[in-house]
Amino acid sequence: MSTPTAAAPAAPTRPGEENRTDARGALRRTRQRRRIRALAVPVVLLSVAALLALLTLCFGSVRLSLDQVLGSLLGIRDNGAVDFIVRDLAGPQVRAALCVGLALGAAGTIFQQLLRNPLASPDFVGISAGASAAAVAGIAVPAFAGASLPALAFVGGLVTAAVMYLLAWRDGITGYRFVLIGIGTAAFSTGIVGYLLTRTSLTEARAALHWLTGSIGQAGDAENDVLLVALIVFVPFIPVLQRMLRTVEMGDDTARGLGVRMEPTRLALIAVGVLLTSLATAVAGPIAFVALVAGPVADRLLGSARGGIVAAGAVGALLCLVADYVAQYLLPVEVPTGVVTGAVGAPYLLWLIATTNRRGMGG
Amino acid sequence: MSAATVTATAAPRRRRASGLAAGLVLLAALVPVLAFLSITQGSRDIALRDVLDAFGHFTQSSSVDDTVTVRLRVPRTILGLLVGAALGLAGTLLQGLTRNALADPGIMGVNAGAAFAVVGSITLLGVSGLGFHVAAAFVGALAATALVYAVGSLGRDGATPVKMALAGAAITAGLTAVTTGLLLTDLAAQQQYRFWQVGSLAGRYAPIVTGVAPFLAAGVVGALLCGRWLNALALGDDAARGLGVSLGRTRVVLFLVVGLLCGAATAACGPIVFVGLVVPHVARFLCGPDYRWVLPYAMVLGALLLLGADVLGRVLGGTGELQVGVVLGILGAPFFVLLVRYARLAEL
Amino acid sequence: MRLRLAVATAASLALALSACSSDVADDDDDAKPASGASATPEGPWTFTDGSGEVVELDQVPTRIIAHAPAAAALISYGIRPVGIYGDEPVDTDPNLDGVDLTGIEILGEEWGSIDVAKASTLAPDLIVADWWPAEKAHSGLENSVKAKSKKLAELAPVVGPSQGGSILNLAEGYEDLAETLGADVEDSQGAEDKAAFEEARDAFVAAMEDKDLTALAVSPTADLLYAANPEYAPELLDFTEWGLQVVTPDTPDPDFPYWENLSWENADKYQPDVLLIDSRSFEEAKKTVAAQPTWTSIRAAEAGQLIEWPAFWLHTYADYADALTKLTADLADVDDTIGD
Repeated sequence: MSTPTAAAPAAPTRPGEENRTDARGALRRTRQRRRIRALAVPVVLLSVAALLALLTLCFGSVRLSLDQVLGSLLGIRDNGAVDFIVRDLAGPQVRAALCVGLALGAAGTIFQQLLRNPLASPDFVGISAGASAAAVAGIAVPAFAGASLPALAFVGGLVTAAVMYLLAWRDGITGYRFVLIGIGTAAFSTGIVGYLLTRTSLTEARAALHWLTGSIGQAGDAENDVLLVALIVFVPFIPVLQRMLRTVEMGDDTARGLGVRMEPTRLALIAVGVLLTSLATAVAGPIAFVALVAGPVADRLLGSARGGIVAAGAVGALLCLVADYVAQYLLPVEVPTGVVTGAVGAPYLLWLIATTNRRGMGG
Repeated sequence: MSAATVTATAAPRRRRASGLAAGLVLLAALVPVLAFLSITQGSRDIALRDVLDAFGHFTQSSSVDDTVTVRLRVPRTILGLLVGAALGLAGTLLQGLTRNALADPGIMGVNAGAAFAVVGSITLLGVSGLGFHVAAAFVGALAATALVYAVGSLGRDGATPVKMALAGAAITAGLTAVTTGLLLTDLAAQQQYRFWQVGSLAGRYAPIVTGVAPFLAAGVVGALLCGRWLNALALGDDAARGLGVSLGRTRVVLFLVVGLLCGAATAACGPIVFVGLVVPHVARFLCGPDYRWVLPYAMVLGALLLLGADVLGRVLGGTGELQVGVVLGILGAPFFVLLVRYARLAEL
Repeated sequence: MRLRLAVATAASLALALSACSSDVADDDDDAKPASGASATPEGPWTFTDGSGEVVELDQVPTRIIAHAPAAAALISYGIRPVGIYGDEPVDTDPNLDGVDLTGIEILGEEWGSIDVAKASTLAPDLIVADWWPAEKAHSGLENSVKAKSKKLAELAPVVGPSQGGSILNLAEGYEDLAETLGADVEDSQGAEDKAAFEEARDAFVAAMEDKDLTALAVSPTADLLYAANPEYAPELLDFTEWGLQVVTPDTPDPDFPYWENLSWENADKYQPDVLLIDSRSFEEAKKTVAAQPTWTSIRAAEAGQLIEWPAFWLHTYADYADALTKLTADLADVDDTIGD
């Protein structure tokens, strides 16, 4: 990946005063266009997501008119039946889909840029695996009966990430070692999940398989609220995070030359990514592929303004929203959301591989 | 281990080679020791004399102890050694081929393909039984590997490492999604899948062992011959081409060998990712970057690791057993993490 | 260009939004359809749930949503729910075999998914499902079920008899519940089923008296042979009480006490006269064990004394009568001198 500045098309550089002004003007125009794009893409994506959210509210298992949905959402009209569906059932579901998608998309692009590896999304680096082991233990081990699965998953994700960070720390963190340790912890968690799945009863094994696939609507309203609040808290920090990512992209030497200390920056980015992933996993289970795919898709839309956190989050939100709708209503039986995100995400990634190559970028 | 102390830099080449050879012989000498343990130890207490007795009246095996020794433990030991060697080699080939430390049979779509074929054959075709699972898993693994290679080699510059890794990840995710979808609506399939997915050497007997052994053996021999190519690939595409290695043909052959090894191993034992992922790192740590040495080391280490974990699982499990996949994850993974933390593992 | 595409998508979405219609009437008159049952007794209504909680309502509930097995039990007493949800498709659910479901809304055909929005339009006043003491939850509303589906419990109180030491807890519990809901229990299919069950049970007891049969319930897999602990399977406890001695494994897995895990090396640890194999996977299990050299180290297996175990699903007198009759017939030819 190249830095935003380097990605700007080279301006014509023929000698001569006039040309130089032209060049400067072109450069300015490109920059301006990039800035507009960096702003417009997330805004448009989020608006599409909002409209789509309204649409799914209207076309749920019970059809509602736009008047009824808006009336209920805004509290203008009182209709017990509609209010229950909109405010208690479908509304929270849609909100959870949007929030989980935003969190996973943002966390995914942060990890990919931080570790400079397109495969390094949280579901590949062991955080989701740790959350899964904790949650499956909550389902399968009789001693944990009644424990809150979202809480277990959240703590499991955080603890795994902390252990990974501590183990990978040796005069700083290298991406390579972090990823290798991630593989080890993921193997450990997978071993535990495998053990639990073979020892528990068939009923619990089924519950665990469902949880492991990931579903929007898994957790209750309290967990959804926590995720929403966390996202709102993150909003003012987005410009800071964006700047940190640019620093990381410059590489250690350049950053050091500019007097930026890399380690706190990396730690902050990892912490944000881990927190978002753990919260999203607590709410919906380890939904596959959203985090992996959202960043690259957003980059395609952003063009030279690539790397945008909000845009990646918006793509994630759209993907979750659509996948959730398909999973609930369009298939012969209702399936967990994670089944659909994988089936939608995989062909897209294959397409990405084929087209990236045509431009000679080689990933 | 002795080989670890041999440093590549200072020692003259011949001495280095003899040191590596001695290390390899030493490791290989552990194989019969472990095999002996594997045949004498298990969840059932059988006196050593009865074990030896069992081989005495091999044909008319009558007592349960005889059956357990000859018909359960012997094939299991052979399978453990073969599959371990195969996975160790396959992981080394894949990591060398993709120049990616994360490459393992799982990331190349092998497990996902095998799982899809097993679950699909249960839910869609309605066939069942371990023999069918083995055949289906083998075909599925080979097909998925071929698909990964085909997608990864799309376009002008052919199968670059990054494209292959991404293609493997994508196909794994897609197949896993469909597999889960099929699985969740079929209770009987769930019942079988949850035992398949953990990875185990238990319950695989003579017909299965004799079924997959030829494929595994062919793959092992093929893999051991690939050292020179991997050394060339490790220098980078241009240098390899400069050495007269045809990149396209080399990659196809390597992929074929990997497909054979992983397909047969996964078919026999279910998805065991850990061995293929970790053994190459340990082998490189012991004997340096020369693949002509890394490959035999990985073969022996893989066999030792898998069979060792299996024996441990049998002894630790009481009247039951712990599946080898579980033992590898819970005991092997922390070991690997410590290795990553305290040893300076070479980047590829 | 992509941006323009996105704007176009947004515009068409907006258009689609303005055009959608509704299934729900706009006025909030709570126009619940009148109940069909005219013989509904006067309220108030009380029932003691399996959890011990006493549920009180001003009126006898008539619009019931039930878990599939509960629905089958209620229907046999003439109480027809307005909606049901099950753990598997209604066509394959053994609990619903032969049950007439016309006019009943299907709200879920897979474990963990209940269409609560559709359920809310049925305006239920009672939800019926088994109570699971270990999970402290009703069927379909367990801890690991999606919160989205568990919102069913917000629509109406949930009641049901408790799972526990005997299948009869459930059968009798649903009989009692049906009675409080106004069913004429004496004059119903359920009464006939109960008589059939009592006959089947007496025949079973009589058959067991002549023999000295021990049984082990197992679930065979390629890796391990799982021996069931009858304490966690109410039907096995019933069989024991009626004369079939079901073996209790001496060292169940401490974390998962439903089973003792036996490696195939230790398959011969218990030597019962007959092996009971989960009926849900009976044929599959026979194939699995055929490949195991030590399977025949169990003398009952060597002698082919394997019979189906109706595991973990029985709820009603009708199903229990059928299962017992089949079991009695299967056990008739079993040699009781094989085991220890």
